[in-house]
Amino acid sequence: MTVRLADIVMQYPGTRALDHVDVDFLFSEVHGLIGENGAGKTTLVSILGGSKQPTSGTIAIAGVETVLASAGDALAKGIAHVSQEGSLVPGLSAAQNILLGDEPRLGLGIIDTRALRRRAAELLDRWFPQVAIDLDAAVDTLPMADQKVIEIVRALRGEIRLLILDEPTATLPAREKENLWRIIRSLPPRGVGVVLVSHFLSEVKALSDRITVLRDGRHVTTLPSAEVSEAQLVDFMLQRAGKTAVAIGENGDGARAAGETVMEIADWHVGGVRVDRFAIRAGEIVGLIGLTGAGHFGFARSLYTGEGFLSGSTVFAGQPLARPDARSMKARGVAFIPDHRMENSLIGEWSVRENLAMVHPHAGAHAGVLSMGLEEKAARAAMALFNVKAHSPEQRIQDLSGGNKQKVSIGKWLYGAPERYRLMIFVEPTEGVDIGAKREIHRHIHRLAAEGTAIIVASSDLMEVADIADRVVPFVQGQAARALSRAEFSESRFIAAMAGDPK
Amino acid sequence: MTAQARPLVEAKEASSRKSRDQWLLKYSTLLALFLLFAGFALTVDRFLTASNLLNIVQQISMLTIVGAGLTFGFAAREMDLSVGYTVGLSGILVPLMLISGVPLPIALLGAVAAGFAVGAINSMLVTLIGIPSLIATLATGSILYGINFMSTGGRAIYGGLPDGFLFLGQGQILGIPVLAYAMVLFVLVAWFLMERTIFGRYIYAVGGNLKAAELSGVNGRFYRSAALVVCSLFAAMAGALLAARLGSGQPNAGERYLLDGLATVFIGMTMIRPGTATVTGTFFGALFIGVINNGLNLVGMDTYVQSIVKGLIILVAVAIVSRTTKLKLL
Repeated sequence: MTVRLADIVMQYPGTRALDHVDVDFLFSEVHGLIGENGAGKTTLVSILGGSKQPTSGTIAIAGVETVLASAGDALAKGIAHVSQEGSLVPGLSAAQNILLGDEPRLGLGIIDTRALRRRAAELLDRWFPQVAIDLDAAVDTLPMADQKVIEIVRALRGEIRLLILDEPTATLPAREKENLWRIIRSLPPRGVGVVLVSHFLSEVKALSDRITVLRDGRHVTTLPSAEVSEAQLVDFMLQRAGKTAVAIGENGDGARAAGETVMEIADWHVGGVRVDRFAIRAGEIVGLIGLTGAGHFGFARSLYTGEGFLSGSTVFAGQPLARPDARSMKARGVAFIPDHRMENSLIGEWSVRENLAMVHPHAGAHAGVLSMGLEEKAARAAMALFNVKAHSPEQRIQDLSGGNKQKVSIGKWLYGAPERYRLMIFVEPTEGVDIGAKREIHRHIHRLAAEGTAIIVASSDLMEVADIADRVVPFVQGQAARALSRAEFSESRFIAAMAGDPK
Repeated sequence: MTAQARPLVEAKEASSRKSRDQWLLKYSTLLALFLLFAGFALTVDRFLTASNLLNIVQQISMLTIVGAGLTFGFAAREMDLSVGYTVGLSGILVPLMLISGVPLPIALLGAVAAGFAVGAINSMLVTLIGIPSLIATLATGSILYGINFMSTGGRAIYGGLPDGFLFLGQGQILGIPVLAYAMVLFVLVAWFLMERTIFGRYIYAVGGNLKAAELSGVNGRFYRSAALVVCSLFAAMAGALLAARLGSGQPNAGERYLLDGLATVFIGMTMIRPGTATVTGTFFGALFIGVINNGLNLVGMDTYVQSIVKGLIILVAVAIVSRTTKLKLL
């Protein structure tokens, strides 16, 4: 018995989220679904769960072609979707949450609380007799794993044959994960198939009978979990068509003279990330790589903002400091160019000039008083330096192309040409940027390093990192692994390192 | 290829349509103001007379000052609902001080101090404790209301106010009310701060994209606080001038400045940079409200009708702004 998705295409304006995907999900298996962000996993499970309609393609349940018109329709046809964010109502009890929207009534809309309590207990006992949960407790006071179980029990309320679990363990502490894993494994023998979407490869590999890999909206492969290693899975997720090896750029040969240590940290615990030791020297470009959720982006950001900082020692330019924060790090000569530029870096309604002047407005002002003339001159200089294509400095930033926006996002740190930075931290420096702008940005990063700035580049673009970095630190599930030197750069090496292969 | 080309063309047409809408929007409010003015001038006898026009200026001067202060709050995306009672607070504090013999300059400094204190409390509640400004200032407004009435027993404070003080609210220099000079002074200061200083730029930055501003090294907490302090400071100064105009301190005189003040900012947000509160826009907004209040008064409409008309105007202004721009109020 299967649900079969055949030749599914999902076309959005300008992008194709799914490109002729064929997969079948058995009611007797845990089916892992993996891929990097943007690979199409979310779109695929939304179609399977009925909340999105494909542009073209067919869906067949047990061989009968059907349409899943809405999430409710899919539910009626036996497919339930437990989303990542959670859909419990805090304040209501676990039992009330299990039967939310299907409460037993006494008539006149009055809820039969005793019958509700009894039916919730029956449901929990029928599906997971080994689990003890206080059904009267407010659901938000329960451990995270128990909350997930409550959501799953609610999803299994009807005649469900296929359960979609979207990142079910993402919010769970490690010790609670195993309980949930047992629960997931217990479903297929009882005729409920599971579609497991997860960023944790080891988890997918351990739980799944078969694994499907998506990449850039295409179906890469579906194969039995036992026949594939984690490193191979990473390979499937990342490998770009026609490229088998990372092309090592012509620029770096390790000849750059590394200067004194700029920033050095030890025993850092920040958010879900632990780094025993990390140091960077003047003029050095260090790349941070990892799978989605490995923690490299958060780590790069925390070096500037201190976000999520729990413990650890930090030395910057020879001076110890308690924990970083944006203003003091900026004062020490650190620049931070974040990912998601419209959200983290630019003000959409502002002009190019105003955006450029955000970091160092003093360059266009006398004693705190802005001079439009000075500002325009400084803005034009920054635009020329970065080759920003806009009608004028007065054009609104949101009307520029992605590449030009990104150049402004970087250029605003260099507006007014302040003295050189000690450290510049880039996250996804060429996200959504065309190839020409990408080359220019890479050239600037090299120039800045050559002038003695230490540079950190956290990127999901392996080619980019291989091309510009002197050294690469792979992150695996919140831990920094052994750094790779330039001589060791190769796509297979990167992929093995990101999969946690200790070689 | 054609499948992709068509949405692009449509997007372009939509964006040019949008920019034309915005152009219309920028000037439609000014046009409406002009038509309103012309309408009253043609139909109401006593409207277009020098004394009535000066009267309008006097009537809107306090409102403009309150509105200019609120503009800082809106720019930083913080709402101050306590301004009306802050007007009232300083409107009774200054006469009280004067009657008990405090010299005028010191009494005015007292108004500044009161405004600063209210602003500091509001901003602590908002930026340190994390209460949304809409709710924090609603509560502090209620507290101020109580203080205003308790401290006066609900009665007006009058008699024995020095001439110098009354001159501020009722006198003229070169045939123009002193209040008009005060209004112009405050508007110019506010405009300069907002449009020509790093201080104002950063207030707009924390309102435009707080995360981007903070990641650029801007002290978000400071500038959000500063915006709320300016709201209260300007309201307190308006309160002192209001007492001078009325020749007495009245505990409930400030109340209408909240709604009218918000109205000036909302109307102002339809022009200059649509969707953004600007000092110039607020000034025209105050003029709009002033002309309506005055004209309806002359026609003999009672205040309840005026209240309905103003409510409708606020709705129209906010509807226009939120349909044509990405209005971000809260």
